[in-house]
Amino acid sequence: MKRAFLLEMTIFRDYARQLVGLGLLVSLCIGLGMQTPLAMPATLTCMFFMMSAMGLAAYDQLNHWELFRLTLPLSRRDVVLGRYAAIVTFGLLGMAVGLVAALAATAVVSAVGLPGEVGEAFAFDPGMLSVMAVVTCFTLLIGAVVASVVTPLYFRLGQTRATQILPTVIVLLFVVPVVVLGNSGMLDGGIPGMELVSAALEALDTPTGMVVGCVVLIALSSVALAISAAISLKLYERREL
Amino acid sequence: MSGSLIEARGLAKHYSAFSLEGVDLTVNEGEVVGFIGQNGAGKSTTIKALLGLFPTDGGASSVLGVPSDELSRASGAATKEQVGVVFDAISLPEHLKVADVGRIYQRTYATWDAHRFGRLVDEFGLDTKKTVKSLSRGMGMKLSLACALAHDARLLILDEATAGLDPMARDEVLDLLRDFVAEPGRAILMSSHITSDLERIADRIVCIDAGRIVFDLPKDVITDEMGVARCRVADLEKIADAGVVPDAELRYLHHDYGIDVLVPDRFAFAENFPEIPVDRMTIDDYMTLTLKGGVR
Repeated sequence: MKRAFLLEMTIFRDYARQLVGLGLLVSLCIGLGMQTPLAMPATLTCMFFMMSAMGLAAYDQLNHWELFRLTLPLSRRDVVLGRYAAIVTFGLLGMAVGLVAALAATAVVSAVGLPGEVGEAFAFDPGMLSVMAVVTCFTLLIGAVVASVVTPLYFRLGQTRATQILPTVIVLLFVVPVVVLGNSGMLDGGIPGMELVSAALEALDTPTGMVVGCVVLIALSSVALAISAAISLKLYERREL
Repeated sequence: MSGSLIEARGLAKHYSAFSLEGVDLTVNEGEVVGFIGQNGAGKSTTIKALLGLFPTDGGASSVLGVPSDELSRASGAATKEQVGVVFDAISLPEHLKVADVGRIYQRTYATWDAHRFGRLVDEFGLDTKKTVKSLSRGMGMKLSLACALAHDARLLILDEATAGLDPMARDEVLDLLRDFVAEPGRAILMSSHITSDLERIADRIVCIDAGRIVFDLPKDVITDEMGVARCRVADLEKIADAGVVPDAELRYLHHDYGIDVLVPDRFAFAENFPEIPVDRMTIDDYMTLTLKGGVR
């Protein structure tokens, strides 16, 4: 698996560099637009998970690379696990870059002493760090879930065909349930366990709650990726290249 | 069979418009086997089946003693350390630089020889800063060959690997392949439409047509023993009546100026029919007479 992982890292390296630059710019714009540095690591974490899952799959079909890759001393299992390891690595890289960029932006704004709302929003506040951690972990979950949904499709159908049906899958998985639940009125208190969710959200206001929240979000992300990897292994094993 | 680096028996694969049917193929130690056939005859499909790139519908095959369907599994993947593969076009992501390709192989093959790769890159005139995308077809094939030759493989599987190379580069590559197979325990399976290359390097020629093996002969039998008799229509009857060539083996092909007749032993034929010119058989001639010729 290590070989397949290193292969993915080498192939994605140049694109990742471009993505860091682009991501920093986008996250800074979003941060300034939303007047909070919290948006910076959140944006980059989510963006890197999604872009690495999609970007790596895009290289598969160039020059029949996907087919040729299996003539190298790699198993299909190596290829799948190497892909997930690369997605997680790039996702965490995005998170790290985002956190450093947010702190750097805060430090620069504090040092320069920007006036107005932006100066206030980006002023350093120790309490902001824990909120940033929770928000970043939440976007980690979003990015991981998206990567978990798209990656098995790429392994089963190839990038071209998967891209054609992905919008439909995304709508079915993420939009339809929200619309159905919204129209049914269940979101207004009809769903069993909503009190528990509300209590959990309230608990996030406490330091312990935040730590637990981060751990739970990271655990959920890991579970989503693990289930997705297991599905991908099954699907890719039978894929006719 | 001991000493077989590739062994396929009754290999079958069915698609809606094409099928491989009972393909038997053996590549023994020390051999260069030329794999020929028309476009779409099943050469690449056979090669991919041998490499375990898709499940087959029948038969069995092995590469270096490992069943082909194991090659993409954890149990057999390591065997591919000893196999160098070149497809008919460069099969690497196009944004990679030549130097990156070396890095990829270094990370993938435990036996990667970076010095040898560097030497081959120099010999082939490849610029390490150029991207795969910017390489011409010929240069791309040179890069693929450099990769296949730089990890101490025992077996090379080359699918149209000399396509796109200029004559001088082909000479150079054929020399490298000759050197490769001269080492004990090695062999090459080489599909090609450039049969002049195979005449220079192959020990055995296997021809596939419509998914079936049509012939599997030592190259010397074709090029050193066989011949093409350039006949008039009346000569064909004379040859048939003489019984020098059994009727079932008397293959011929009509063309504008006469008839070409396949002669199994051109020297014996020349003694029996000194008035009929007989030329040395080429692999192209033999394939054409076998695939397109009639049997009397």
